[in-house]
Amino acid sequence: MSTPEFRRIVRRETHSPRTVAMIIAVVIVILALVYAGVEIVLHLLTQPALLLGPAAAVAWIIELPTAQPAWAVVAGGVVLALIGAVFVFLSLAPGRLPKHQMNWADRVVVVDNGVIASSLAQHLSEETGIARDSISVGVSHRRVDVTVTPRPGVPLDAERVGKLAETEMESYQLTPAVTTRVRPLRGKESDPDT
Amino acid sequence: MNTTNRALNRIVLLFIGIVFLLLGAVAVAVFVWPAAGESWTRAGDASAIWIDQASESTMIGATTLNWLTVAVLALILLLIIILLIVALSRAIGGSRSHMVFRSSGRETPLGRLTIDEGFVSDALGYSLGQRDEILFSNVTANDIRKQPVMHVSVTPRQNTSPRRVAEDVDQLVINLAALTGLDVPTLISIHSGFRAKLAHDQRRIS
Repeated sequence: MSTPEFRRIVRRETHSPRTVAMIIAVVIVILALVYAGVEIVLHLLTQPALLLGPAAAVAWIIELPTAQPAWAVVAGGVVLALIGAVFVFLSLAPGRLPKHQMNWADRVVVVDNGVIASSLAQHLSEETGIARDSISVGVSHRRVDVTVTPRPGVPLDAERVGKLAETEMESYQLTPAVTTRVRPLRGKESDPDT
Repeated sequence: MNTTNRALNRIVLLFIGIVFLLLGAVAVAVFVWPAAGESWTRAGDASAIWIDQASESTMIGATTLNWLTVAVLALILLLIIILLIVALSRAIGGSRSHMVFRSSGRETPLGRLTIDEGFVSDALGYSLGQRDEILFSNVTANDIRKQPVMHVSVTPRQNTSPRRVAEDVDQLVINLAALTGLDVPTLISIHSGFRAKLAHDQRRIS
């Protein structure tokens, strides 16, 4: 398989297809159209309107600048514009999913950030002897944050933890590459023995 | 990995977003900007006159119906149908190709051996199911630009190294390629999630 096809697959796996947002937008428009259609049909059948008949609706739209209560119309306009802005943003933003690609010979490997985080935390726990629940790891697009909260009396070599984390992350060969940062929670690592 | 048309998703979303944004902006503008309000009312009055004239001149026989209303209804119906087609085809996620793995295509005295996606999925799924660190796996095949691509999706136990999972799956795919004679490009996706969080951590005895 050629490189552009690999790239396409990885991109599809690591970016949101925006299907949910698109369906929500389409459903809103369909509901509005169905409502308009029902009002027109009711008008043709000389039945009472559900809310506003077509003639009254057209008149209301024409007289919009003097419609009352004014705040409700302005608020409605603002809400509509905000929803529109969100849709426009979602359609243009990359929609990156919390995943990384692992460079792996001739296979395409895509890993959830959550798997990387829990694996790194487990590795650090095994290598340093710090309890697993004292290590929390957050993996974002380009950064890995390791927070270590050692139990009172347990010394912490932050530099060693940092090196271990870096070595482990390098072995994953992630794309995009990540930088590792270790943050010992202050006041814990220097507690005297108890 | 599926065949969802992502460009269409975004185009539809962008179009609806712009329409909403413009409608909302106009509604606010006609209130807060008197000149815009006056223009709106003038244009509205002219439109109302046009609608009245068009309705009267397009009356259908002796009925109260007119072609303008029929046209508006037809347009609404058409839009609904188009939007439903777009939404439903996307919700289903497009068509999945049922790839056929052919061992070599050679005729043998017993006939031609054909291995399809079902066999491959079952074989890989069974092998992955034997591994303690794998909680869930799913193997599918799709055609990406007429090229068969296998997708092995696995959810390992929490705290399992993704490198180890990738090594295991890679080895299984190599074994499968030796069996079928066809090394299919493979995507391995390693997932976390609720299932992994609920399950016990992997017990490591060393």
